[in-house]
Amino acid sequence: MNSMAPVDQNQKVRIDIHDLSFYYGAFKALKNVSLPLYDRKVTAFIGPSGCGKSTLLRVLNRIYELYPKQRAEGKVLLDGVNILEGKQDINLLRARVGMVFQKPTPFPMTIYDNIAYGIKLYERTRKSILDDRVEEALTRAALWNEVKGKLKESGLSLSGGQQQRLCIARTVATKPEVILLDEPCSALDPISTAKIEELIDELANEYTIVIVTHNMQQASRVSDHTAFMFLGELVEFGTTEKLFTAPQNKRTEEYITGRFG
Amino acid sequence: MNRVLYARRRITNNVFLILSLMAAAIGLGWLTLILSTLVTNGAVGFSFRIFTEITKSSGSNGGLANAIGGSLIMTSIAVVVGTPIGIMDGTYLAEYGRDRLSAFLVRFVNDILLSAPSILIGLFVYEVLVPRMGHFSGIAGAAALAVIVIPVVVRTTENMLLLVPNTLREAAAALGSPRSHIIRSVTWRAARAGIVTGALLAIARISGETAPLLFTAFGNNGWVSGLTGLNSPMASLPLVIYNDALSPSDDLHQLAWEGALLITLAVLTLSIVARFFESRRY
Repeated sequence: MNSMAPVDQNQKVRIDIHDLSFYYGAFKALKNVSLPLYDRKVTAFIGPSGCGKSTLLRVLNRIYELYPKQRAEGKVLLDGVNILEGKQDINLLRARVGMVFQKPTPFPMTIYDNIAYGIKLYERTRKSILDDRVEEALTRAALWNEVKGKLKESGLSLSGGQQQRLCIARTVATKPEVILLDEPCSALDPISTAKIEELIDELANEYTIVIVTHNMQQASRVSDHTAFMFLGELVEFGTTEKLFTAPQNKRTEEYITGRFG
Repeated sequence: MNRVLYARRRITNNVFLILSLMAAAIGLGWLTLILSTLVTNGAVGFSFRIFTEITKSSGSNGGLANAIGGSLIMTSIAVVVGTPIGIMDGTYLAEYGRDRLSAFLVRFVNDILLSAPSILIGLFVYEVLVPRMGHFSGIAGAAALAVIVIPVVVRTTENMLLLVPNTLREAAAALGSPRSHIIRSVTWRAARAGIVTGALLAIARISGETAPLLFTAFGNNGWVSGLTGLNSPMASLPLVIYNDALSPSDDLHQLAWEGALLITLAVLTLSIVARFFESRRY
């Protein structure tokens, strides 16, 4: 099935995914997926394990290209430009489209250097400005108060929830336009999860956010739009409210009511 | 519950434990025996003379100063030359090559080099360098040791880099970091303790090597100094031990024991330092 996603005329489309297929070697993991991602909105990808939701996310910053046997076909238009075309500078693309992973991935360096790392990649700034940028990023990630006294300590010394917020701060610090979150709370306790969800709410004012989640309550809490995927296909896409209260597709309904998946 | 079955399992358990303990005792027993012989023989008549006097003929109160100096010089050169090559090679295998045919070939050759008898490496360097230079030299000795350092460092570097989780590379790439920058700033850093350990183990390995120096550095009973000294035959601790142990005179035997004790202590210290680095996580 190839459901064409409805386009909301009132909102600006930031990323337009069009007829996207993805292959791991010979295995087709995404089958002709099309959907829009709206500017400064949160879009959630949900679906059972192996449905392709993480794969779809990994196409949006071409991180899959680190692995030689993976390839994508189709179009992904970011502000109207197809990012899958070879001419795109892949590192500049990733600077615009940031990503936070399932498990926290602090670099083996100090908390300060973790944040400064991304900034220093593309900017030459004075130390004082860099200090401000680091503080700003940590504040936005609701971590500043917990770490301001120990910026010179290793990022690995933080708790899991703090590490994940450090990674979000690191992503925010480079001032991307889009933020991809790949199950960012699956390794965290409920309190840390609540903090990160609050943070997503806050960030949505400025960034286009895409979140992959296994947790349907989370999808309904944080997202404006939701895409339900199954076996590499996009089954249903719509506003989160509509998808969770009045799903159009029988499989969507079965999944969100917990009858399979 | 089947009591007979349970009783039998308990007996098997005890037998297994006793066998393991016996094996450990045998292994450690020999090691203790070797070390105690070394310490008793080496410590007897141990004097600081060995650090100040150079090797002399029997009966003239010689020391080991030139051999210690030669060992330090050749080991240092071998490490300075071999370690960067080894690290870059290991980095290629772990970060770029991975499953490529070229990486497979490099890994295969490296494994052969790693297990090649060190006398073969000495012969190879002898063939390549000594006739061209016209004589034995410290440089040739250092070159032979460097050839031994490289495969050790390649292997540990590759293994340590492979232990760095891919998610860390992905996280750096996701910030827009180019590959070489990811390697320098993130993966090397994450694997630093292991890579340093590999280099230290390589030093420990070559500081006891005799065979590759036999027909490269050759040995020398005098001091060598300055850059020109590298161009002449050079003494080293293992070579002196080898020669003195084979000599008929007791005072030279004694000197050989002292040299052996010195090398053992140095290697032991290095191993402890290496352990320390290994256990330290950033």
